[in-house]
Amino acid sequence: MRLPSLNPRSIAFRLIVAVLAVELLSAVLVVFLSYGYERHIHFRAFDIALHGRVDSILGAVQDAEDPPQDNVMLVQPDLHLPPDDIYQVYDANSRLLGRSANWQGVPPDFSAPPRGQFTRMTVNGRHYRVLLFNASRIIDVAEPGGGKLRRFTILYGAPTEHVWHAINGAVEFYAAGNLLLLLVTGPLIAWLLHRGLLPLRQLAALAALVSVDSWQFSPPANARLTPELAPLTQAIENVLQRLERSFVQQRTFVSDAAHELKTAVAVIKSSLQLLGMKRRTAAEYQAGLERCLADSLRLEEIVAKMLTLAREESGVAALEPQPGADMAESLRQTVAQLETVAALRGVQVEVAAPAPGACAVPMAAEDCSLLLSNLLLNALQHSLPGSAVEVRLAQQAEAVELQIQDHGEGIDPAALPHVFDRFYRGDPSRARATGGTGLGLAICKAITERAGGSIALTSEPGPDLPNQGTTVTVRLPLAREALASQSLSPPPSA
Amino acid sequence: MRVLLVEDEVRLADNLAAALRDGPGFAVDWAEDGQMGDDCACNRCYDLIVLDLMLPKLDGLSVLKRLRGRQDATPVLILTAKDGADSIIQLLNAGADDYLAKPFDLGELIARAKALIRRGKGAAHPALKVGSLELNTLEQTVRRDGIFVELSPTEYHILEYLMHRPRVIVSKRELLEHLYDYNWEHHSNVIEAHVSNLRKKLDADLPEPTPVIETMRGRGYRLAPELPPDQNEGQ
Repeated sequence: MRLPSLNPRSIAFRLIVAVLAVELLSAVLVVFLSYGYERHIHFRAFDIALHGRVDSILGAVQDAEDPPQDNVMLVQPDLHLPPDDIYQVYDANSRLLGRSANWQGVPPDFSAPPRGQFTRMTVNGRHYRVLLFNASRIIDVAEPGGGKLRRFTILYGAPTEHVWHAINGAVEFYAAGNLLLLLVTGPLIAWLLHRGLLPLRQLAALAALVSVDSWQFSPPANARLTPELAPLTQAIENVLQRLERSFVQQRTFVSDAAHELKTAVAVIKSSLQLLGMKRRTAAEYQAGLERCLADSLRLEEIVAKMLTLAREESGVAALEPQPGADMAESLRQTVAQLETVAALRGVQVEVAAPAPGACAVPMAAEDCSLLLSNLLLNALQHSLPGSAVEVRLAQQAEAVELQIQDHGEGIDPAALPHVFDRFYRGDPSRARATGGTGLGLAICKAITERAGGSIALTSEPGPDLPNQGTTVTVRLPLAREALASQSLSPPPSA
Repeated sequence: MRVLLVEDEVRLADNLAAALRDGPGFAVDWAEDGQMGDDCACNRCYDLIVLDLMLPKLDGLSVLKRLRGRQDATPVLILTAKDGADSIIQLLNAGADDYLAKPFDLGELIARAKALIRRGKGAAHPALKVGSLELNTLEQTVRRDGIFVELSPTEYHILEYLMHRPRVIVSKRELLEHLYDYNWEHHSNVIEAHVSNLRKKLDADLPEPTPVIETMRGRGYRLAPELPPDQNEGQ
């Protein structure tokens, strides 16, 4: 049997100590109670015995047969009393009638205690319990006149040592019994606790088996049924599920990122090797170098976007208080920046938004610009030439809603659920044409969710429909400061 | 030789196609997604399929499984960015012949492509020898009785293809399919002209010309150089 370790912090140890302390307390209580009880019992018997012996002394008082004096005397040889006992017998005139041989020369002050009273005395170095007894008896019943009533005072004491001895013996027995009980129950409790905590240790052992490579956690069936273990089991399972999801997510991201980066590197490497495969003209080298540079820029872009995504998705940054970004102002700037792109593609950008200063959203200004430029650029790139992109920004009671609608080719319904996946490109040929990295929408989603908002995409694919194209809807909560200052003062216009 | 390249990354595909055309002089068809790659492979006119794993629409592994499911034995070279023995084992077990991890070396890719084509045709060595003809696929040189014969690239590719299949009748259509990629105008008289030139060049330096490439009227060509008469029966 392996007992739980005696670590003062262990629950088993604390429980054992607590139980033993309670046991000890009750043992002390038992000892005290038994002391009182035993004392009561023993002294009652003792007192009855004393009364009995006083009676026998009273019986030994005889007529002295000396007619003139009419005295009484104590016939001591008739008495069979314990040799350690002491007694003195006085008559009504305080004349000593007799005393035990071992009680000499003590003038009793028997006027003080009333009749039938016990006192404690020390005679010859021994402790006695003494009964003062005022008795009356008719002596010489046989004489003419029927004898007469005589009064006596009897002092009778017996040593208390053996009574105390008996009491102490009994108390000691109880004390020893309790101590023994303590000694036996200590290890017994430890053992029972050890057995009782077995399911907990089993649970811990099973939980310890979980690792990065094996997320399998199958708690024993009784763990779920045990009220104490059920919440713990549930908590472990929940934590593991969340951890696994996050791990799988990370692993997928790393794998996807590795694929993207390796492919990008493969492009550059193959471009360079292709260039070196044979002698080429200066113009060919020039063109090749330009291609390599373009490939490198693409790699750079992928890396930059991956870092942005990692930053946006990291939970640490979310703990910082986010300043309120002016979304209306950001939108104005973004539209201005992308004017050339829109013109190049022959797309009209129609903006319906409140004046700058409104729509404060809880995110950093650069994140807000990134979100807007990603979404707007996406819309522009997927628009058909000659069509329009409609941007609507509106502040509602406690939220800001942004809608960007293009009239492009739309998104295949099968691809729609995946558009926010990292490195997902709805249509590879389209992605190729636009040079997308497959990270833009993932970044938008991360930014939106970090600010406590939501992003959704609806699409009507197919040509010649009036509302054909893709609409992205972003809903963001209002920044807290904006909510607070809304009623106080009008926001400064930029 | 004709190669099918299934790769979604346009710049990489450009480079690979250019390298395979410029280096060993293969005809290269490019499919930009798995579905298109699978459709192309159904034509069964390829000597090698270079297949990327992560493809839109249909991933590389599925393309490979469909290919092998059709009993198509065309050699397949996988391009993968995935690490790990599991993935490679799975690929090889699914019927891949070889793999290259990205980013790979173009020279290695070409060497492996050549080796796979050679193996696919049953030749172990890069130097092919049929009768008095010797063809070195590495140097892309041809010798007859030890004397170098200068050939144009197309003539060389026709001879190479025929030398991989000695004594087998190869149709003009087959030659067209294996020497030109999808974008080429298919004209069988182009082949006739090239074969005619090839014959002349192979016989040019010989005192007693013996035709090594026979024309089987309406059926195609056959490389049957200097065979004993009993084996030439039935022509």
